[in-house]
Amino acid sequence: MNKVQSHKKQALLHSSKRYGTGMLFMLPWMIGFCVFVAIPIGWSMFMSLHKVAVVPGGFKYTWLGMQNYRDAFLKDNVFPIELITYFEQMLLMIPIIVIFALLISLLLNQRFPGRFLYRALFFLPVIFATGQVLSELFTQGAGDIPFLDQYNLEPMVKEYVGGEFATTVMDVLSRVVLILWYSGVQILIFIAGFQTVSPSNYEAVRIDGASPWDSFWKITLPASLPFISLNVLYTIIDLFTFPLNPVLKHIKDNMFKVDTGYGYASALAWIYFAFIFVLIAVVMWLFSRSMKSRGGQR
Amino acid sequence: MNTDIRYEKAKRRIRGLIWSRQSQKVKQLVMGRNLSDGLLAKLVIYILLSIVAYLYLQPLLYMISTMLKNISDLLDPTVKWIPRQITWENLSKAFDGLQYPEALRNTAAIALSCSIVQVFICAMTGYALARLAVPFKGVITGLIILTFLIPPEVIVIPLYVIFSRLGLLNSMFVFLIPAVFGQGLKGALFILIFRQFFHAQPISLEEAAKLDGASVFRLFFRIMLPLARSACLVVFLFSFIWYWNMYYEPSMFLAKGFTPLSIRLDNLDNVLNPSLLGHTADSPGTANPVTEATKMAAAFLIILPPILVFMFLQRWFVTGIERTGIVE
Repeated sequence: MNKVQSHKKQALLHSSKRYGTGMLFMLPWMIGFCVFVAIPIGWSMFMSLHKVAVVPGGFKYTWLGMQNYRDAFLKDNVFPIELITYFEQMLLMIPIIVIFALLISLLLNQRFPGRFLYRALFFLPVIFATGQVLSELFTQGAGDIPFLDQYNLEPMVKEYVGGEFATTVMDVLSRVVLILWYSGVQILIFIAGFQTVSPSNYEAVRIDGASPWDSFWKITLPASLPFISLNVLYTIIDLFTFPLNPVLKHIKDNMFKVDTGYGYASALAWIYFAFIFVLIAVVMWLFSRSMKSRGGQR
Repeated sequence: MNTDIRYEKAKRRIRGLIWSRQSQKVKQLVMGRNLSDGLLAKLVIYILLSIVAYLYLQPLLYMISTMLKNISDLLDPTVKWIPRQITWENLSKAFDGLQYPEALRNTAAIALSCSIVQVFICAMTGYALARLAVPFKGVITGLIILTFLIPPEVIVIPLYVIFSRLGLLNSMFVFLIPAVFGQGLKGALFILIFRQFFHAQPISLEEAAKLDGASVFRLFFRIMLPLARSACLVVFLFSFIWYWNMYYEPSMFLAKGFTPLSIRLDNLDNVLNPSLLGHTADSPGTANPVTEATKMAAAFLIILPPILVFMFLQRWFVTGIERTGIVE
């Protein structure tokens, strides 16, 4: 008996020695996670299953079950439409942003005089893009691009794309400048990523007679695959919390309506979150698969 | 006769040889051996980058030019970029409307304190994940990514209640306390950056320090953190700028009194012409040009400090982000 206890004591001592410092370093984050993330998540889920009314001194909950979620699709005539339109736009915008960021960072990664100045200029969006300042600028029309009206692109787009999708394309086109502005962080991550490729690789394939075109496809692109996936992830999250996002606006509006309230708004938010989560899961799965197949070749 | 013809032929051949050699040189000069060496490639790079850079600069220039226009210039459609007469009136109006010194102090207090705290806490967490023994490391990493994914809108109401129970609302602690506990603005991203960075450091350095009898804390604060200087700078700058610009969180948690610049910009319309109260919020497209100039001036006043900080630190920023080597 005594022996078992001392064994236990020793095991405890051992594990505390082993994990002690690690836990100490993690402690602030863990407390923060419990208080500021885990509790709110649980609470918000709880609220989404209730009708929440604000009464003096707190909240009054009435159990609704899945009613809020059903209402979001069946009763609400704004939410599903906005959700789907926004998703269409996002699906189009994500590749555009990532590819644009990749191209620009490729150019910025070349050696040319004045590179420093250009790089500094391309970090400007990091400063502006998160702020209220930018949305202020765009409501004033500073971000419009003149060529859309000048060349009368709309009928052309309608002709080639056709139908319902044309409006989505036009919407995205009219936001081209915004897309450029939202690719600042992505450009930065790509530039950082290119630095991990050793220059001797490029030299080796050049001696073997590869053109710059080949070396891009065979070296640069595979090496930056992890960064592409990181950027896709970041872009999704960034668009998700976009200040001009109509879905979030709808959620916020519902929060302060008397007849719908917090419960319904949380349900909407969770539906929205579920959609994004599925999107992210699919994207991560695709990337991990392509990276694994690449890892197998090596 | 025969020799003459032969002579001519040889001459021509040599000339052709020289010409081809020269053209090859020209070709190399224009096309380049590498993608980036040739003149043509350089020209294309310059043109493309300049176009995009113009698009980035244009709103900034628009902001500055609108800000400096007086009323007659604002109403005159022929005056597009350069005002006929430079006026500082808008700037001073915006300065008063924002209550700039006070708001600047609030914003700077939040942004500075929170980003400094975030650098330390995220570095500690990232270091623990990269090098120390932590139970359920994989699960914790997953949870960190989860905190990055959850939009603030989903948990804002419970957070509001928690903050009000803790008595943090309407003070800067509403941002500082979560930052102290590793839940600051986009803290998850910073933890991941630090984790990747510490992973990349050679482990022999730590072993040497341990052999010399350094404690983990000494090791971390004396060796690892200084080594991660560039990562710290990157995180500090990102964090500073994001805290400076944040709008949604302060609009929820800092309703009265202690408000940062971004909220005051939003309220500026009501401050400038109280008679329009309620009108302007619904129809931002029809803002009148006079308040527009003041708003532009206010926006300029808001982004000026981060631009100055950025300009001061960007030298290290550029090399810093390259050295972090964020590898998945």
